[in-house]
Amino acid sequence: MRLLVVEDEVEIRAFLKRSLTEADYTVDVAGDAKTAKKLAFENEYDALVVDLGLPDGDGMDLLQELREQGLSAPVLILSARRGVDDRVRGLEHGGDDYLTKPFAVAELLARLRNLIKRSGPSKGEQTKLKVLDLELDLLRREAVRGGQLLQLTSQEFTLLEYLCRNPGRVVTRSMILNKVWGMRIQPDTNVVDVHIYRLRGKVDGDGRVPMIRTQRGVGYVLRDR
Amino acid sequence: MSSATASSGGRSAAWRISLAGTVVFAIGSLMVFLFMAHFTEGDIERRTDTWLTGEMSKLQEDSAHLTGAKLQDELTDQIQEISREVPGSVTTADGRSDQVFFLQVPSNEKANLWVGAANATRVVPAVLATTPPAKENKPYDLRVDGMKGRFRVTSASLHDGGRMYLGVSSFDQHRVLHSMRSRFVVLWFVIVVMGFGVLFWMSRRMLNDVRQITEAASHIGETDLSMRVPMSGRRDEAAQLAATLNMMLARIETSMQQVHTMTGALAHDLRSPLTAIRAKLEMSLTSEAACCVEAEEIVSAIDEIDRLTELLTKSLDVAEAKADALRLKREVVDLTAVLAAMAELYSPSFAERSVSLKIVSDGAMWTLMDASLLHRMMANLFDNELKHVPAGSAVEFALVERGGNAVLRVSDNGGGFAPEVLERMFETRVKGPASGGHGLGLAFVQAVVLAHGGAIRAGNDGGAWLEAELPLAPG
Repeated sequence: MRLLVVEDEVEIRAFLKRSLTEADYTVDVAGDAKTAKKLAFENEYDALVVDLGLPDGDGMDLLQELREQGLSAPVLILSARRGVDDRVRGLEHGGDDYLTKPFAVAELLARLRNLIKRSGPSKGEQTKLKVLDLELDLLRREAVRGGQLLQLTSQEFTLLEYLCRNPGRVVTRSMILNKVWGMRIQPDTNVVDVHIYRLRGKVDGDGRVPMIRTQRGVGYVLRDR
Repeated sequence: MSSATASSGGRSAAWRISLAGTVVFAIGSLMVFLFMAHFTEGDIERRTDTWLTGEMSKLQEDSAHLTGAKLQDELTDQIQEISREVPGSVTTADGRSDQVFFLQVPSNEKANLWVGAANATRVVPAVLATTPPAKENKPYDLRVDGMKGRFRVTSASLHDGGRMYLGVSSFDQHRVLHSMRSRFVVLWFVIVVMGFGVLFWMSRRMLNDVRQITEAASHIGETDLSMRVPMSGRRDEAAQLAATLNMMLARIETSMQQVHTMTGALAHDLRSPLTAIRAKLEMSLTSEAACCVEAEEIVSAIDEIDRLTELLTKSLDVAEAKADALRLKREVVDLTAVLAAMAELYSPSFAERSVSLKIVSDGAMWTLMDASLLHRMMANLFDNELKHVPAGSAVEFALVERGGNAVLRVSDNGGGFAPEVLERMFETRVKGPASGGHGLGLAFVQAVVLAHGGAIRAGNDGGAWLEAELPLAPG
């Protein structure tokens, strides 16, 4: 997978390149819109990571120009804007995505992964999810582990479903709030943790092998092996 | 929008202005007409008198040296001519008018009367009954029973000692005056109506300009500061108002842009290093070299950075809100649905701390709000309750409609706001002694509420309470 990272801040560019390379991506970097356009023209990328505040232009304008020139790869916008404006918020509907700075690297990786996955060949609508001995029936909204039906509330099911869609990958609290509760908020209290603990009590209780694991400082992972 | 303006003309000052102006104009023109009518009447009377005395003088002259039958013949000829000159209500075959009479009263004989076609029996006694004024040939009024109007009569002495009387009816005079008056009335009516129409149209046009300016100005602040009020192209007061308003809007837009530039720059300058720091901390966590103790400290450092970031975001929001520069992306939002979602998110946390959480709502409450700010504001309120209320307390979030607004009331039976907080509740950097936060929470809630045109109050009442009023979406 080949990525183009467009970011003018040297430090951020450096650690982005580092983390993405560690995540097995091939990474090209550009420090301004002009270089970005040149590289995008010369190479094929599977996804782009673009900072809004570039020295020679706006990230959204760059995106628009690239799209007009035929770029079809998904784009993840990094925004330092105080208030995320209409155009940026509209990205989610347009098949692209955005993250406000500072962000969790794990979240960047997760969103990027989702973007690339989404733009790939789409599988048919799934009605079942299976991770290890955990099975979710999405139509009947029932979860079964080791053959035993779990007594989950609707919210707990949605949360578990989200974890199952990202098996083996860290999801941050802010991602959970965004995808499961539909809100981009940063609560001052540990609301998400409490939900996870309750879910864990039901999914990993009764002496079963724990599947929902905490990754300190980052988020949660559903074990898939 | 312009048709709505036109149809609400009933409330417009145009009615008042044009009615008042028309009344004044109508009274004035009526007075003018009355004066003219009076003047004309007087003038006609004077002319009639002049004619009368003139004819009488002629008669006196012509008959001065005649007597008897010759005198009579001469007089008859003259009178016949005179009576032909005056238009009458009935004219005889030889053109004599019934509006003129001539009476000769010889000194020693019976009175002779020449009158057009009217009744002699009435005129003669009437004439003889009235004493003419002392002065010779001075016209005076005479009323004759049974005849319409009055006669204007002049009397002079004959050289042989008799008297002669010449009278002309005011019939024609009245006819002229009457037709003049009715024409005046019609004309007056027409010009009053026209005057009203012109006044109304002109004042409506000017006031329409003002109304359009008012409407545009009230929308601009809310939606798009780059818009300007419409200019009519005329050079009157309304156009000056529009020009001044537009200049003012341009100044406001410039200063807003400056605020946004500053907050944007601040945001960028603070967020970028924070991004780098956070990323480094995160990566050092996942690296093999991190051991347990350090891991905990790194985690708490990351937590601090996240809190700091949120404080930064809220502070900038509050700063922009205080400068009326907070940009809103409004959409139709059901407050009840948001409240329910928040409650679902927070209820396990409340349960964990043995605090009861009750949600009360009247039903769907549709508002036009910035969804992102609304979510953050609500989360703020829930967080505050969770952090400040002791275990075992009860918290209630109630959403009711009151006077076209949605009112969110948060109340609990905890310890209430700390006294030092109560006085300056909505200022920044105010927090109770037990609070571990940065003292920004309520300032942010207030900023969001006020930016949406709402109102906010809070206090203690055996616990803390807070009321946020938010305008409901129209329709």
